[in-house]
Amino acid sequence: MIGSQVSHLRFRRRVGLLAAGALEGRDQERTRAHVEACPRCRREYAELAAVVAAIEADPVRSAVPELPVSALLDRVDRQIDRAAARPPVAWRRLALPAAAVAALAVVLLGPELASRLGPEPPAPAPTRATVAPDPAAALSAEMLDRLDRNMARGSTARYLSEAQDVLLAVAATEADCVREEDRVDVGEAPDRSRELLARRALLVEGRPEAVASARAVLDDVEMALREVADLPSCVRRRDVERLRREVDQRHLHMRIRLMTRELEG
Amino acid sequence: MAASQEGATSDRDLMARLAAGDREALAPLMERHYPRLYRLALSYVRNPDDALDVVQETFVKAFRKADRWDGSTEAGPWLSRVAVNQSIDRWRRNRRRQATFTPLAEGDHDESLAAGGPDPDRRVLRREMRDRLAMALEDLPERQRAVVVLRHYQEMSLDEIAQTLGMRLGTVKSTLHRALGRMRTGLRGELQS
Repeated sequence: MIGSQVSHLRFRRRVGLLAAGALEGRDQERTRAHVEACPRCRREYAELAAVVAAIEADPVRSAVPELPVSALLDRVDRQIDRAAARPPVAWRRLALPAAAVAALAVVLLGPELASRLGPEPPAPAPTRATVAPDPAAALSAEMLDRLDRNMARGSTARYLSEAQDVLLAVAATEADCVREEDRVDVGEAPDRSRELLARRALLVEGRPEAVASARAVLDDVEMALREVADLPSCVRRRDVERLRREVDQRHLHMRIRLMTRELEG
Repeated sequence: MAASQEGATSDRDLMARLAAGDREALAPLMERHYPRLYRLALSYVRNPDDALDVVQETFVKAFRKADRWDGSTEAGPWLSRVAVNQSIDRWRRNRRRQATFTPLAEGDHDESLAAGGPDPDRRVLRREMRDRLAMALEDLPERQRAVVVLRHYQEMSLDEIAQTLGMRLGTVKSTLHRALGRMRTGLRGELQS
């Protein structure tokens, strides 16, 4: 009894393969014999064969591309040329965060660097054995924190502003890359979007509380940038129009402008 | 999926030329594989424009990464693999777009796919069946869908599918079986009517 069940289970998987026309020779014969002797398998085979028949009636199987091969070759050539004309993305992705880190280091380490590299400072006044909290030191920590916070907000404002430039550039693009197919060349916008998305991660990781009020706008901008980042540089005009409508529906430009103003104080 | 044609440069030669940076080799390679890869992409992404983009990206990648083709597989399965990966990427992108933004404009591909006979009722039925079929395919996990596409739209043998997707033969068999079973569930009402 158990043996026949094991045998049945073994054949069950083959029923699918039989329906898919993927069995040959002895395997096919044995499975077919099992199916004929087993009412449940027969029913299963009939249903799976109907699925296969439905797939085989799908007109996609014989679809012919409307675009001639010469036109596709032209598109491929252009894409290769455009990619060759651009510097590697990875290098450019690193450049902006690296510059931001360098700028932050200068601001935070500035006094320390100045004290090491600048003229000899006057000798400190003698200190007492018990040191009271130094209001100047506390003030400078507070100032540094405020400076850091302001920098985070400033970086976010610049990020939003640059993101807006990209979205506006995409929406306004008129340069046809393959005129007959109603496609437009969005140029570097996908690459710039990817760079901005890389910066966006740094913004949120850095001082999340400093830009908490911008979170909703940042999220919507991120979605829009992801859309742009996914575009090929030669894109269907209607895809650009759809993106523009989506941005408009979310009033993204107005929200970016308001948030940028708020962040810049 | 013949790798070489009588009297013509073989796929292997063309791939070798591509790997050496000879862009002229793209044209004959495209002539040979474009319609097949287009059908592959179309059966996966179900949209003619997206399918063209997928094929375009596939050939761009073929040019850029020809030097990674080690010759252990034929060029045809290698190109199919690139096209499947591109189709999966495109599919994910479209799904993310639908989840975040409004869906793409619809309808433009229906006409080009319509299998129209003179009888309008029959045409509607066919169209409904096609839509249900597309939905059943879309419900499949990515890998199962790739196996179904390669088997039933590209008519590849199970060995070729294993080679193309880098899967073991046994895995291909069980994946195909599970995929058809899942599609049967999705199409049950349609197949009975």
